[in-house]
Order: sequence, then structure tokens, then C-alpha cells
Amino acid sequence: MTKIYIPSEPIWCAGCGHFGVEAALRQALVNLDVDAHKVAILAGIGCSGTIQNNIGTYGYHALHGRVLSAATGMAIANPDLLVIAAGGDGDGYAIGMGHLVHSFKRNPGLVYIVMNNGTYGLTKGQNSPATDPEGGGQPLDAALLGLAVPGTTFIARGFSGWPDHLEKLMVLALTHAREKRGFAFLEVMSPCVTYNDTYPAWSAALCNLDDDDDHNPSDRMGVVSRCTGLRAEGRIPAGLLYSAPGRALETTLKVSAANAPVHLDIEPARLIAEYRQLLEQMMV
Amino acid sequence: MRAASAKLSDLNILVAGQGGDGSLTVITLLGRLLAHRGLHLFTSRNVASRIKGGHAAAMLRAGIERRGCLGDQLDVLVAFDAQAVEIAGHQLCAQGVVIFDGSSGPVPRQHLPEGAQVLEVPFGRFAVRDLRRDLFKNSFSFGLLTRVLGLPDKEAVACLEERFGKNRKMVDANLLALNMGFKFAEEFDCPERHGFWQLDRAKRQERILVSGNEAMAFGFLVSGGLFFAGYPITPATDIMDWLAPRLPQFGGVVLQVEDELAAINMAIGAAMTGVRAMTASSGPGMALMQEGISHLGSAEIPLVIVDCQRAGPSTGMPTKPEQGDIAMLAHGGTGDYPRIVLAPGNPDDCFELAVTANNLSQRLQCLVILALDQSVAQDLATTEPFDLDGIKIDKGKRLNAGEVAALEEYRRYLFTEDGVSPWAPPGTPGGMNLITGNERNEFGQVSTAPGNRKKMVDKRARKIGKALDLLPPARRWGDAKSKVGLLGVGMAAGVMAEAARRLAGRGCAVACLQPRTLWPVLDETVDFVREHDRVYVIEHNAEGQLARLLAGAGAPFEKMRHLRRYDGTPFRPSGLYRAVLDGEGAQ
Repeated sequence: MTKIYIPSEPIWCAGCGHFGVEAALRQALVNLDVDAHKVAILAGIGCSGTIQNNIGTYGYHALHGRVLSAATGMAIANPDLLVIAAGGDGDGYAIGMGHLVHSFKRNPGLVYIVMNNGTYGLTKGQNSPATDPEGGGQPLDAALLGLAVPGTTFIARGFSGWPDHLEKLMVLALTHAREKRGFAFLEVMSPCVTYNDTYPAWSAALCNLDDDDDHNPSDRMGVVSRCTGLRAEGRIPAGLLYSAPGRALETTLKVSAANAPVHLDIEPARLIAEYRQLLEQMMV
Repeated sequence: MRAASAKLSDLNILVAGQGGDGSLTVITLLGRLLAHRGLHLFTSRNVASRIKGGHAAAMLRAGIERRGCLGDQLDVLVAFDAQAVEIAGHQLCAQGVVIFDGSSGPVPRQHLPEGAQVLEVPFGRFAVRDLRRDLFKNSFSFGLLTRVLGLPDKEAVACLEERFGKNRKMVDANLLALNMGFKFAEEFDCPERHGFWQLDRAKRQERILVSGNEAMAFGFLVSGGLFFAGYPITPATDIMDWLAPRLPQFGGVVLQVEDELAAINMAIGAAMTGVRAMTASSGPGMALMQEGISHLGSAEIPLVIVDCQRAGPSTGMPTKPEQGDIAMLAHGGTGDYPRIVLAPGNPDDCFELAVTANNLSQRLQCLVILALDQSVAQDLATTEPFDLDGIKIDKGKRLNAGEVAALEEYRRYLFTEDGVSPWAPPGTPGGMNLITGNERNEFGQVSTAPGNRKKMVDKRARKIGKALDLLPPARRWGDAKSKVGLLGVGMAAGVMAEAARRLAGRGCAVACLQPRTLWPVLDETVDFVREHDRVYVIEHNAEGQLARLLAGAGAPFEKMRHLRRYDGTPFRPSGLYRAVLDGEGAQ
């Protein structure tokens, strides 16, 4: 066995919600029996952007806000990989928001875990787009945003304080991506105990729609209506909010595990006849 | 019939009007016809940054010799309106011919040299009256034009049939227009094969007509490029447009994405898997990509990035050429990191250097930038078909599962003598590792330890330091023994070559150097400045970015003379020739 890096100890504060996210992810990977070398965890910048160091898979530390772009490129180039993008609400909803909207639209076969703590923890507590500000304004709800984009296929919201539920959502999200149904967006309400300790507030506000018999995740209109209504009451909708059949971007691009760019033989001798045809088109 | 017509072996022609008038069509048609007669072509466009309308011109130079730039003066001007004459009339040679569309008024003669001969025909009006479509004025003027050039009618006919071949109705309508052109030629005393000139011809050669952008995209493809992500921007969009229908035929992917940040980071994601990836942009987009560029350098990810430089600063002049990104390409981004910047000067260079860039980036696990300028990117030139047999694929230090298994230990950022670490991309069994743009230890784990930090910076720098022999050498021509040198890159190369020949003809032989590796500055470039008494550094920017780059690498600044142009047009041979003669006269 070749010796490789020893996974790091988390850098998070004691009690940080991110511990719950990491535990759920680990357990989901075990449940699904995925080989470590087939998993790539790509993370953004911030406290959450260190999760890739802790698990023992392939890991990549992206630029601030760009994790979805890198993850999309990787998922297309090598669809054999289970690509997991992870980051915080600052990374995903502020500097990286443009890519989130376009990921919903494009539907690449990957999982995106946003650890939403409503603050910039690593830079010591500035407001993020998901902060519930005192004195007016509304926190951004990325789930509702995703519901507004026609290409969206999977939206779920979990809570670090509900480990079993979170593990279930994690398995659903990973499965959505693995089965090439597309972009699985999983937001985890993951409190920052140091700068924005929302455990009590969120425990009270969260409403798990998975326990609600009237909730139908395939009914987009119904989900929008329900989530909007809950938000108006100051509640936070959680659970598998929306799930639709879909076709991953890489499948649309006719890229499959068998013919993925990463597996193609690029030796020129093999393709020289085709190359000559292109040259032929330039003849004058 | 007029007196015997003069021989012409170097034809310069400009067709101009409003965008959408079809100036480019006339040039394309004529180019084909002349290529079939064995002539070399060089064509250029001058358009406004808008979809239709605005002054638009297409230029063609055709001759026995291969030329890398436009000539100094026009032999023929085809003007679809008075504005075309106002703008380009002064470029006409003393005996030049103007084919003028008089539909909306007389030709403004005051903008033409005295001896200019004007053939005025209301093309547009007749095209509408007799053919019911203004656009047929192209074929109409093409008929007159081929007669003026003394070309056989049947070749003009064949050219139109080839162009519109699939649509019989279009062919017939255009042939009617063409014949109207022939008829007017008779009225101007221009019967078939007795034009104003006798154009030289040569044996037809097997040649391609290609732009730098196309040649570069092709080079990327044949050297195994399979992933391209880009955001539309003039003048780089052609690359995406060329690859979009072709790369998928080879199993590759072309994605038009939401912005340049997505473009470079998506390419990074693909590149991390070991797939050869590229993105392309121009000044403003390159500025947005700077963070990704430093990241590539730090994280040691291979990527090819193309910058088709246009006139800046900021949005500048999108359709005009400049070499104003040199400083950004060589020094932009944060921190110290290895990078290679290559500067092709014509389509052959573009093809060759794209292949080189693809291989170098894989071998050294770093970014390679191809620095074109709008002229190199978009002008078309004839050349010999590219050599496809010589293409080699350099996989560098890529590890497969077996090779990983044979190791006792695997470290993604292993310190090595040449600075390049063995690379197991995600998906390789047993090779799990961490990739980051943060400073890290050999395993890819974040580290700020001073000792490790210094070793990592040195390791990354070593990659380039140990690979200097692999970097593309300069092209040289002229008189190697001369004490006077000319030095220029990109679009300056072709002009420099022609100016040098004229200078030699005037007894002022010069040596020329076209560095093709801009960064790092190679010793050969510094030595060239050292070894000459004076070196004219020719560049298309105001601040002398190239000269400063050379000086920074140790080239003696006091030996440099500066020829800079930044009006949005490239140097022309005579301008350069005179500038050097003036400079030498002053010595």
C-alpha cells in the first residue's frame, strides 16, 4: 500500500456545525461504498473550505467563490469521479453567486454542499448574504432562488443539529449526482458558535418538510408556495425540498464514463486521418 | 484599347463600405481566385465594434512572394460609398484605380491622388433595379474588378459558382450581377484579359489560408486538447467558434460560460483530471482571469491560456490590435510563480506554439500563455499545410495506478531536482492527494513554515529554470553581421521582415530578431541587444512594455531605440523603413 497524506484534524471551533456536516458526509460515503480514489472533494475559501483535507479522498482547494466552476470542469472531464463541491454561504452566495445560478441552469452531475452559518467566520464575523440582519433586510434563501431556475433538479436543506436526517439527505444528494441526474444542491444550516451562534434560533425556526405528508418534492409550484409561506412566518423550510428527474450536463454533452475526455487516447498517429480532413477545409 | 498594361507582382487592394455591404465577400472571392493562380495571400479586416454598419474594410495583398503584412499603398480601392474614399483614398498609389459605387453621389476626388483613375458605376442602384437586391452589388463590382486586374472571365465565374454552388438560384442571380460588371468593364475600355495590370501568376501550390486564431485552435486540437471553456470577447471569440463544432468530433467539450472567472476555473477543473484544457480571452477578460492565473502557478496545474491582445486600456478599442498586455502577462497576478509566455508572429507560429504550449504545460505542470495580438489572431495568410507528422505528445510526469502502487510513498508536491513532481490526477487508484493554491507541504497540506515556504517557492521557480532549452527560440533574419538590429514580436514580425529587405536595398542592412518566448526573457534575446550597437525595439504600445521587459532581464537599455505605435493600426513596411533610416541618419 502506497503511503499517502494523513487526513488533517478539522480546524473548526469546538461545537462548530461543520463537524456535523463532515460526519454526515463520511457516513454517506461509507453507506454508498464509494472508493476513496473515485471521490474528489473541492472546497471554497473559508472555514468550510478545509473539509477536503479531513477525509482521505482527492481534495482541491479552490479560489474564493469558484468552487462550482472547477467542480463542473472536473465532472465533465472525468464523469467517473464523484465530484463534491463544498463551501460556505459567503463563498457561494456572495463572491460566487453567479456560478450558483448557472449551476442550477446547467445541471452538472455533482453535489454542492453549502455550510450556511450566516456569517464570515474566518475573517471574524462580518455579515454574509445569508445573515439575518438586525434592523431590516432579509437573508438570502438560495433554495428559493434555485426553485426559480428552470433547470434545477435537486434542492435539499439539512441542519447540523439533526445528524441522522442530514446523513439521509447527503445520501440522496450523492445518489442524484452519481446517477447522472444532475446538480444536487444541499444547504446545511451549520451554526458558527463563535460569531453567529444560531443553534437555539434555528432549532426553533427549522421546519422539516420530510415529516409532512402534504409535502410533495416533485411539485415545484407547491414547494415554492410552501417555502415562501414558511419564510414569511420566520420559519426555515428543511428536508428534501425539491427533486425532479434530470439529465446531467455531461450526459447532455455526450460525455460518459466510457468515452470521457480523461480516458481518450490522444496519440496523433491514431487520429491523423481526421486531422488531415480539418486541414483540407483550410485549403485554398 | 488602352496601351499595354503594366506588370504587377504585388497587389494591394482594399474594399470598403458600410458593415453589411459585403466588402469581405469581394475580398474572399478575389482571394480564392488569386490563390488558384499560385499567389500568396495576406488579408486583414478593419471593422467597427457593432454587428452591422459602421465603416468596414477588407484588405487583400496578393503576390508571388509570401508577405506577413499589408503593403504601403493601394493599387485598387473598391469603395461602396464616399466615406470609404475619404478614409482610404490617401492610401492609393499615384496610378491607382478606384472602383466607386456612385449610387449616392459623385466620388470625392479631393481625397484621391491626382493620377488616380476612377471607374464610377452606380452598383447599388443597378443591383436593386435589375436584380432587386442591393447585396448583388458585390458580384457586380467583382466582375468589374476582375476585368481591371486582367483576369479571365471564366475564373471569376468559377469562383462564384464555387461560393454559391449549393444554391442554384443564388448562383444565377450572382452570375447576372457578375456579367453586368463585365459589361461595364467594356465601357471602361477593359476587355477580358486586358486590364489595367497584368497580374503575375505562378504554379498553383497546395496551400492553406488560415488566421492565427484558427491555426492556434487547430494546434491545440491536434496536440490532444479536449476541453475549452470561454466567454465571448473580441478578438478571441473565433477560437471558441472554431473549436465548438470540431472538438466534440474528437470526444472533446467546448463550453461557453457565464464569465471569464468561470472560464478559467472550469478549465482548471478539467485540467486537474489530466485532460488538456485551454481558455482564451482578450485584455479585459485576461484581467479578470489574473487570480486564476496565479492560482495555476501556485497549485501547479497545467493550462494553456490565449490572450488575443486588443487596444486597451480597459475596453479600449475592441477590434484594433495592440501589444499592451505584455506587462500584465509577464508580471500580472499575485506572488512569485512560474509561467511561460509565448508570442507567435504568424499562423505557422500559432500552430507550432499551440502544440508546444500544450506539451510544455503538461511537462512542467504550469500555465503557458499564448500572447497574440488582434492582427496575428485575425488576419489570414496563405502558408504550406501544417506538418501533422511531427506532432508529439509529452505526458510529463503523469502517474498511472501501477506506477503509484510501485511507490513507497506518494507526495503530490514532492521536492525534485527539476522542480516537477510526479502527478496522480483524481481518479488514480491509491494516489489520493490534495491540490491547493495555498502554500503547502509536499503532501498538499497547508503550511506556513518558513523553511518549507522557501523550498516550495524555489521548487516552483526551478521548473522553468531547468526547462529553458525547451522554450521556443526566436526567428532571425537579415544580415547577422550588421551592427544594427530590429527586434519585434507578434504583428511586428512580418513588417520588420519587409522593412529589413528594403533597408538592405538602401545599403542599410540590419539583423532582425523575433523572440517567440516573451517570458522568461531568453538569453538569446538579451544577447541580441548586447551584440548590436543599436537595436530598434518595435512595439505596439505607448509605454514600451517590451523594451522594459528586455531591460529588466539585463538587456542594455541605452542600446535600444524605440519605435512605438499605438493608434490602433500596425506599422506598415514603409513607415518602419523610414523610421529606421531616419534613426540611422541621425547616428
